[in-house]
Amino acid sequence: MFLIDGETGRGQASLTPALARYDWLSRRVRGYVPVSADVVQGRKMAMDGSAMRGIRKRGLVMSPSLSAGFSSSVLFVLSAALLLQVVSGDGKTLVLLDNPNIRDTHSIFFRSLADRGFDLTFKTADDPSLSLIKYGQFLYDHLIIFSPSVEDFGGNINVETITAFIDGGGNVLVAASSDIGDPLRELGSECGIEFDEEKTAVIDHHNFDVSDPGEHTLIVADPENLLKAPTIVGKPTEKPILFKGVGMVADPDNPLVLDILTGSSTSYSYFPDRPITQYPHAVGKNTLLIAGLQARNNARVVFSGSLHFFSDAFFNSPVQKATPGSKRFPQTGNQELAEALSRWVFKEAGVLRVGAVTHHPVGESTPPAAYTITDLVEYSIVIEMLSEGRWVPFDGDDIQLEFVRIDPFVRTYLKKNGGKYSVQFKLPDVYGVFQFKVDYNRLGYTHLYSSTQVSVRPLQHTQYERFIPSAYPYYASVFSMMAGLFIFSVVFLHMKEKEKSD
Amino acid sequence: MAEADGKAGCGRQGALAVGLSQPAGWRSLLSITILFLAWLAGFSSRLFAVIRFESVIHEFDPWFNYRSTHHLTTNGFYEFLNWFDERAWYPLGRIVGGTVYPGLMVTAGLIHYTLNLLHVTVHIRDVCVFLAPVFSGLTAISTFLLTGELWSQGAALLAACFIAIVPGYISRSVAGSFDNEGIAIFALQFTYYLWVKSIKTGSVFWTICCCLSYFYMVSAWGGYVFIINLIPLHVFVLLLMQRFSKRVYIAYSTFYIVGLVLSMQIPFVGFQPIRTSEHMAAAGVFALLQAYAFLQYLKDKLTRQERQSLFYLGVSIAALAVFLSVIYLSFIGEHLYNYAKIHIPIIASVSEHQPTTWVSFFFDLHILVCTFPAGLWFCIKNINDERVFVALYAISAVYFAGVMVRLMLTLTPVVCVLSAIAFSSIFERYLGDDTKRENPPSEDSGDEDDRRNSGNLYDKAGKVRKHVSEQDKAEDGLGPNIKSIVTMLMLMLLLMFAVHCTWVTSNAYSSPSVVLASYNHDGSRNILDDFREAYYWLRQNTNEHARVMSWWDYGYQIAGMANRTTLVDNNTWNNSHIALVGKAMSSNESVAYDIMRMLDVDYVLIIFGGVIGYSGDDINKFLWMVRIAEGEHPKDVRESDYFTPQGEFRVDKAGSPTLLNCLMYKMSYYRFGEMQLDFRTPPGFDRTRNAEIGNKDIKFQHLEEAFTSEHWLVRIYKVKKLENREPLGHKPRVTNTIPKQKHTSKKVRVSRNAAAAGYRVM
Repeated sequence: MFLIDGETGRGQASLTPALARYDWLSRRVRGYVPVSADVVQGRKMAMDGSAMRGIRKRGLVMSPSLSAGFSSSVLFVLSAALLLQVVSGDGKTLVLLDNPNIRDTHSIFFRSLADRGFDLTFKTADDPSLSLIKYGQFLYDHLIIFSPSVEDFGGNINVETITAFIDGGGNVLVAASSDIGDPLRELGSECGIEFDEEKTAVIDHHNFDVSDPGEHTLIVADPENLLKAPTIVGKPTEKPILFKGVGMVADPDNPLVLDILTGSSTSYSYFPDRPITQYPHAVGKNTLLIAGLQARNNARVVFSGSLHFFSDAFFNSPVQKATPGSKRFPQTGNQELAEALSRWVFKEAGVLRVGAVTHHPVGESTPPAAYTITDLVEYSIVIEMLSEGRWVPFDGDDIQLEFVRIDPFVRTYLKKNGGKYSVQFKLPDVYGVFQFKVDYNRLGYTHLYSSTQVSVRPLQHTQYERFIPSAYPYYASVFSMMAGLFIFSVVFLHMKEKEKSD
Repeated sequence: MAEADGKAGCGRQGALAVGLSQPAGWRSLLSITILFLAWLAGFSSRLFAVIRFESVIHEFDPWFNYRSTHHLTTNGFYEFLNWFDERAWYPLGRIVGGTVYPGLMVTAGLIHYTLNLLHVTVHIRDVCVFLAPVFSGLTAISTFLLTGELWSQGAALLAACFIAIVPGYISRSVAGSFDNEGIAIFALQFTYYLWVKSIKTGSVFWTICCCLSYFYMVSAWGGYVFIINLIPLHVFVLLLMQRFSKRVYIAYSTFYIVGLVLSMQIPFVGFQPIRTSEHMAAAGVFALLQAYAFLQYLKDKLTRQERQSLFYLGVSIAALAVFLSVIYLSFIGEHLYNYAKIHIPIIASVSEHQPTTWVSFFFDLHILVCTFPAGLWFCIKNINDERVFVALYAISAVYFAGVMVRLMLTLTPVVCVLSAIAFSSIFERYLGDDTKRENPPSEDSGDEDDRRNSGNLYDKAGKVRKHVSEQDKAEDGLGPNIKSIVTMLMLMLLLMFAVHCTWVTSNAYSSPSVVLASYNHDGSRNILDDFREAYYWLRQNTNEHARVMSWWDYGYQIAGMANRTTLVDNNTWNNSHIALVGKAMSSNESVAYDIMRMLDVDYVLIIFGGVIGYSGDDINKFLWMVRIAEGEHPKDVRESDYFTPQGEFRVDKAGSPTLLNCLMYKMSYYRFGEMQLDFRTPPGFDRTRNAEIGNKDIKFQHLEEAFTSEHWLVRIYKVKKLENREPLGHKPRVTNTIPKQKHTSKKVRVSRNAAAAGYRVM
């Protein structure tokens, strides 16, 4: 018969076929990663190419793993995104330039990257030998596009390959300028960011630098307009940021885009040398000077409207607003911000991962095939952060655990307990298929999502109370009835005999 | 078929029996032979499906029963009792042990266990497939016993032959149809037999047997409610007819108490027998019977004066009781009404809950439907306690069968019994008395008739004693020719009945519905195995814990064949969950995607019959999904949106835009517009609805086609994850304030294409 023979009825299927099964889900899945008693399935990770690459790089041996809980088909970890993130300090990075000069004009920035261990490969953007992907493998971990005016990339790089690179987990830093070409605009719109047109610039008639030649496009951005996320923008400083370039806007409903640096309320984006005949593309605080994107696979992309922003000249120039009485700063905040941004975008900062997830009834050490309603359960999760190239326990006090069956039935804070976060709670008096969910989504950090599916079953027939106090009258009535019947039978038989004898 | 067999056997043995001067042993040998043949014929005629297709479980519910039985045999009874199935009704889960009638699974499990104990190693699937045909034989025997109690042994044998092959019963008991009804009809008939026996004897022994049989019935099928209402009705009518006796009192008092206690042992039934309105009649009759018996007792003891005052007291107590019960029942009735109101769309959507058409009466019962009123008339004419019962049985079953087509099943046995009585009486009249009057048997009938005639002696033997006077009167004017003509006619009818039964069984009731067959012009058969193909694909290619959304009809099959988690299935206990799935199917893609994400759906499975013209597909069921969804979400889903302004349900260009863009439509017709089935029709021509589809350009944002079976019957879609990025929904703005000349060289285009190709290869 074509199916169901005695052995493969339910829940006995082994995991091994699942391995082959996933190959079509993602081309880059190579296997499974055993994490403690539970099996972390490859589903989320399949999306997370960088995690996979990281694994390859370290030469970890991955093998399909089975645990008792899994084979009894009750317990499984749905996903653990970000598990084993790449330690990126040594990432191979491709730098695309408009012309080789940029390497010199932006030497401070590149040197800081090289000092931090990045392996930079400089190419002009129209180099015909360019290639990001070869035989299905990414040749680089990171991509820097410092070629705003490119109209067509050379080699086999184009917007599609770059988006594929992002979807595969690669990180991209893009710097544009008023000479922005179509590919970068397209790339921006693929990421949910809309650059203004070529030849436009962000203009601010109130916050421009004293050295501005008169178009009011050399903007002094207030550090107050930076995103309040130290992992992305670094420590808060007073130093203003010098910016000259094209503006962007983003859909405020897009949950993935971060407004890293916005213009002031008096800024707008238009052609500096034209009379304003149309409503400017971006006005006021909507004008984005620097925008970021953390994709759902935690690939990071930063768009800067200004290539000059990263230049040595801007790093070292003194800055002063042209408005009278404004303070003069001997140096801009550009260098610190650029460094912080590069740390974030190339995953040196704000990278978290989920380690072992365990759960079991209090007083036991292994998870049962199915929990019973109102069990007292202990859940613990290891969350680690990448710091200086090493994974260290993450320190956060706002991590929540939800126990979800469509809606959360329990929502509670996880408490730090040694190297892991754990909590004890009582399961609800509701049966069904639940998930332990940790969904930790904070600005500047990787999106942390772990969900572990468990079944909660009702009481078994032996688990009900045997002798209920309120039922004692009924027990009494049963036994008295039995006794009564017995006596009655005796009396009845006896009487009958007597009558007969009479 | 069985009828013919039975008759032939009857005749041959009969001739022998005459020759041997009718020793009592011959009679029982003959009966046993006929019953055995009936069993055999019933069993064989149920095997069409197995022979034509294979030993496979049919339809929908049997798949669940099979899966539970499998669980029972692999994990033992207690595991089964406590089975919490987390794969059904995701994420709610289902307590299987507490929500099934376990009789079927336990029976099959027990047979399997016994066979294996005897080292007959059969797979549980084969036990399940052949359980219903085997039980049809037991049904024949219990019908034989019941009819024997009611009328004569000849009628009983006829009844057994009838029930063995009647299509109304075969429809639920062909091989592979592993459903509750398959064993429940046996339990029903056997309980009735034991009840009649206990009414006749007034013996506690028979009543206890009846209770045990009733217990088996309760464990097997929800239709036990029919018994627990019919028996009190019988007792009540007996009281009204002044046929009260000690026998009735003993039988009913014992039955009610023991039966009540036993029925409450089934977890699914639990406290229903003392709580719900459909069990209240039994309790009321029990109280009435006690009161009646008490009054009877007092009547003997008291004087006339005392009796009068007692009468007033009794009346006032009765009035009070009626008052209280009215309050109680109105409360329950309200509850019942609400229940019905909420569930109407979902109950109404089930085809077997539709009212029965006249045609299906004839189709399922053929000649019996015409003769059974005659049998009823015979019974009423010669009324006694047990014939009151069969009359009530017939009347109530006819009523219920008219209400709902699936209850045809409860009507069928009584129709067989009464028709057998009618036929038996006719044969008795037109055949039997020749020998009784010692006329030479060869004088008025042919050789064959003679043999049949002698065979029917046995009908008479049991019966003659009762109705001798009537028969004597009636038969005076009958000539031998009339007798033979009538006999021939009757035999012709029976012959046609047997032919009809076989034909119906073969053509209508032997399709497994998981495997379809189509016939070519030259009569050769095409097997369409799309369902199993698709389920097997799911089983092999999806994650073990993947959740599959489909309309509830396919829930059990997905669980049974694909072994994947389902959201809703044929155990339609949670209307709001089904409505949520209905809403997802009837909404546009983005709304549906939100629902599907909320329910963690990985795959969506639909049935689409447009390619081969299969009419039972999801588009044809679609309005029910809309209605059920509307019942729970009246603000989001409106049935009228799915009709054209003229009130038509059309899938072509004139169809309503809501329909043409809803998820179910898009999934059904995705890429169907590219498909030209033959040269006479345009591309995208739906053969089921005979229309060219209205939306040929279907694109999905959140779904992707994962699998489509050979004849497009089953289509499976994968629900995509949220997009990695969220691109802008529009092109970047171009104002052309400074016109710009485009310069895209041809060379770059080529390289771009090459890059794209390279990516795809990756």
